[in-house]
Amino acid sequence: MRRYERPVFSLLYRMVRDRALAEDLAQETFIKVLNGIKSYRPEFKFSSWIFKIANNAAIDHLRRKNLDTLSLDGSPNAETPDQMRATQLQLGDRAESPLAEVESRELGTAIERAIARLRPEYRSCIMLRHVEGYSYEEIAETLDLPLGTVKTYIHRARNELRGYLEDRRD
Amino acid sequence: MIDLTNHLTTDEIELWAQGLLPAARAIHLADCSLCRVEAGRERKVILELVQLPRFAPRAGFGDRVMAKVKVPTPSGDFTA
Repeated sequence: MRRYERPVFSLLYRMVRDRALAEDLAQETFIKVLNGIKSYRPEFKFSSWIFKIANNAAIDHLRRKNLDTLSLDGSPNAETPDQMRATQLQLGDRAESPLAEVESRELGTAIERAIARLRPEYRSCIMLRHVEGYSYEEIAETLDLPLGTVKTYIHRARNELRGYLEDRRD
Repeated sequence: MIDLTNHLTTDEIELWAQGLLPAARAIHLADCSLCRVEAGRERKVILELVQLPRFAPRAGFGDRVMAKVKVPTPSGDFTA
């Protein structure tokens, strides 16, 4: 398991950009892998199976988060001023925490900020391709996507990254 | 005579960035300024991506996972 700790955590961290949450999702991934080891099919690359579970965990989380998004003014379901205050996002607390400082150092570079602006589907493809060195075929198998879609996602992602990075340099 | 209309595809540019572009296509790249500019821009992004670090979770991550994994007992049951 140690061999996959960093790759899986890194993928999840770049997907959700929150250290504690990425660790929870990585933990959930490895528990699923170890508890479900009997369902592993050997014709499938083991690391691909782990990345598939990790990516699904991240995508599920991001979908849920989109559904539950709170505005800075509080939950849209809040009916009273007290409810609105109780559900407001506490940006100040997070920005001052030591963990937020670590996150800002780790994910604050221009390339990391550019990656964060990509669609999650593009982000996982580009990470598997260029950080993990997967072939297009392996990515297609891992993410259950047609090969052509993987190629399109990676080319579009690199194009967008180029745009973001060149805007920054101008 | 070099065909200067048959520009490199994005796949070929990626191959070039990895040093894997076939010689015949490398000749086109050497003679085509459009492709050279495009390939240079693409290579910058690819280089930034391949140099990205891998991050580590907090110490003791493996122990925390193993504490939650079901381990089969001799009777065939599972303990968490």
